Amino acid sequence: MIRHSTLASAAVAAGLAAMVLSGCSTGSGDAPAKTGSVEGAPDWCGPNEATLGLLDGFGGNSWRLVTTAAGADEVAKCPSITDYLYADGQGDTQKAISDIQGMVAKGVDAMVVFPDAGEAMLPALRSAHDAGVITVPYRVNPGGEDGKDYDIWVGADFVADGVAWGNWIKTNFPDGANILFLSGPAGNSQGEDERKGFESVLTDPSYVYLGEQPFEVTNWDPATTQQVLTAAIAKYDKIDVIVSDFGPSLVGALPEFQKSGRSIPALVTSDGNVLGCFFEDNKDANPDFKLMTVATGNDNVRLAVQHAVARATGGVIPEATAFEAPVFEDSVSGTPNPVQCRSDLPGDIYLSAEMSAEDQAALLK
Amino acid sequence: MADATTPKALDSARFSVSKGLLTVAISTIVLFALSALVAPSSVSQGAVLGMLPFAAVLAIVGLGQMLVVQQGGIDLSVPGAVSLAIVVISHQPNGDDARLLPAVLTSLLFAVIAGALNGFMIGRLGLNAIIATLGTNALFFGAVLAISKGIPRTVTDLLSHVAGRLTFGIPNSVYFALVILVIVTVVVRKTVAGRRFEASGASPAAARATGLRVRTHRGLAYVWAQLLYAIAGMLLAGITLQPTAFQGNEYLLPSVAVVVLGGTSLLGGRGYPGATVVAALFLSQLDQFVLALGVPFAVRTLVQAAALAIGVAIYTVNWKAVRQRFTGRRSQAVPAGS
Repeated sequence: MIRHSTLASAAVAAGLAAMVLSGCSTGSGDAPAKTGSVEGAPDWCGPNEATLGLLDGFGGNSWRLVTTAAGADEVAKCPSITDYLYADGQGDTQKAISDIQGMVAKGVDAMVVFPDAGEAMLPALRSAHDAGVITVPYRVNPGGEDGKDYDIWVGADFVADGVAWGNWIKTNFPDGANILFLSGPAGNSQGEDERKGFESVLTDPSYVYLGEQPFEVTNWDPATTQQVLTAAIAKYDKIDVIVSDFGPSLVGALPEFQKSGRSIPALVTSDGNVLGCFFEDNKDANPDFKLMTVATGNDNVRLAVQHAVARATGGVIPEATAFEAPVFEDSVSGTPNPVQCRSDLPGDIYLSAEMSAEDQAALLK
Repeated sequence: MADATTPKALDSARFSVSKGLLTVAISTIVLFALSALVAPSSVSQGAVLGMLPFAAVLAIVGLGQMLVVQQGGIDLSVPGAVSLAIVVISHQPNGDDARLLPAVLTSLLFAVIAGALNGFMIGRLGLNAIIATLGTNALFFGAVLAISKGIPRTVTDLLSHVAGRLTFGIPNSVYFALVILVIVTVVVRKTVAGRRFEASGASPAAARATGLRVRTHRGLAYVWAQLLYAIAGMLLAGITLQPTAFQGNEYLLPSVAVVVLGGTSLLGGRGYPGATVVAALFLSQLDQFVLALGVPFAVRTLVQAAALAIGVAIYTVNWKAVRQRFTGRRSQAVPAGS
C-alpha cells in the first residue's frame, strides 16, 4: 500500500532525525533550541512548547469519532504540545464559529479546524489567523488563501477519489455502464469534485449517468439514501455501478435490489467495516455485486495536525499539503487488498485507518 | 365543542366512515392512480415495498401524536423521543442480539419517564404544550448525546430482521403498524377508559363536570404517545440499519401533518386512527412519487410542502365562508355553482 510505505519511510526518517538530533542536543545542553526536533518524536514536532485545539464542525458519527481520536493520537506523538483542547460544533455553524473564537480567547497557539460549513467559516478562520494563532483548516475547503486567511488548508483530494473510481469502472466495464452517483446535500463540493474526477476518466458516451445530475441528493442520511435508491431501482431496469461517497450508509439500502429480485450491482465507494462484512455476507447471492473502495480518510487529520504542530513548535513542515486517499479494497483484482471484514468487531470502524481496528472498537465501547 | 370542531360521520353509528378517512382515502387512491400514470416506477413492487416501512413508522408516530392532539395538546418532542429510542436500541446492545430485549425494555422505560414528564408538566401543572414539549425535546436530545455522543451505531441482526424483513411478502413493520392501529382503535372506541379519554379531550369542562379525571387523561396521553414514538424509533433503527443519532428530526412536521390530514381536529376531541394511518401512507407515497418523477431536489421539497399546505387547508379553512364570499361578490358576473 502506498500509504503504508510512505508512513513507514516517514517513520524511519523521523527515527533517524530523532537519533541525529538527540546526538546533537546532548552537546548543546538542556536549553531548548529554536528549531529542530524533539528526542523520540517525529521531525514535525519541534522543541518549542505550544498548545493546540482541534475543532470539529460536526462530531456526530463514528467516522468523526475515529478521526478525532486519530487527531489526538497524532498530537500525543509530540511532547512539545503541553495542552490539547477539543470542541465539537455539533453541526451548528454559529457554534463552530464561537468555538474558534473561544479557542483564540483561551490563547491556544495552534488550531486544526474541520470547517464543515465551508466558506461560512472563513471570517472566523481569518480572525484567528490575524490574532496570530496557527490556523490549519482541513478536508473541507473554506475558500480563502493559504498564508493570508489561514496558514494552510490541508484538503482531501476528492477529485483523486473520483479518478480512482473512474479508473476502476473503466477497467471493469470497458463497454460502458449505467452509473448512479449518490452524494450528500445538494451542491456539496465533495460530490462535485468526485464527479469531476470520474468524468475526467469516463469520457466515452457509453457511460450513462442516471438520475439527478450531478448526483442524487441523499444528505448522507441512511433513511433518505434508502428512499432514493428504492426509487432509482424501480425506475431504471439497468444499474451497473453505484458510486457513493459514503459507503457504510448504503448497507440498509442495498437489500432493496434483492427485494426487487435483482442482484446488487457493482459498488465503488469509501470503506467501512460494516460494508466489507455486508459484501462478504451477500456476494454469493448477488452475482453482479463487486466492491471497490478508497480509504475513508480518517488520517487526513494527521497531516493537518502535523502541519499545525510543525508551525507552532518549530518542527519540520511536512511536504504533502493534501491528503490523497489510497485505494483500499478491490473485490475483483484483490489489490491492494481484497475486501476486509472483521465480523468480531463493530461495523462502525474503518479498517483503512492507521489506528488499529481494536483501538477503534474500544472507542465505540 | 366536539360537534362543532370534528368532522361529521357519514354513516350510521354502528359502522361509520369519517369525512377525514373518506377524504384522505380518496386522495391516496388518486395519488396511486396518478403515480401509476405519470411515474409508473413509483408503484412497482420494489418501490412500494421500499416505501411501506417508512409509511409504517410514520403511521405509528402519527398515532401517538393523534392521542395527544385529541386532548387538545401537541407534542413537539417527537424528534427527541424517536432519536432517543434509536440510540438506546442501537447503543445498548452494541451489536449483541442477546442484549436486544433489555434495550427494548430500557427504551420503553425511558418512554414512560419522558411521557410522565410531559404529562406532569402539561396535565398537572397546566403548562403550554408547545413550550413544555419543545423543552423536553431539547432534554431528550441531551440524553441522546449523553448516550451516543451523537454517534450512530449499526443495529443488531435480530432487530434488522424483525423490523426490516418481509413476512408473506409484506414488510414486518407494516404488521406492527396495523397491530398498533387495531389496539389504539379498540381501546379508544370500545373501552370505558377510552371513551372517557375521548370525552375529556372533546370538552374538558363538560368532562370535569361529569366527574372524569380530565387532567389525568390529558397527562397520560403523553405517556401513550411516547410509547408509540419509542416503538417507531426502534423500528426505524431496524429499517435503516445504521441510523444517525438525529434520525427523528424528519418526523416532527409529518407527525402533525398525518393527524391533521386524517381529520383529527387540533382543538381536541375525536381521533381518527384509521385515517391517520392512511394519511401516513399518502405522505410516504407522495415522497416516493416525487422521487420517481426525477425532478430536482428543490422541486421535490416544494411539491411536498405544497401537498401539506393543501391538505391542511382542506380542514382548517372555512371553505363555506370562502365560497359564500366568492359567489357573493361575483354573483352578477358568473353563474353560481360553477
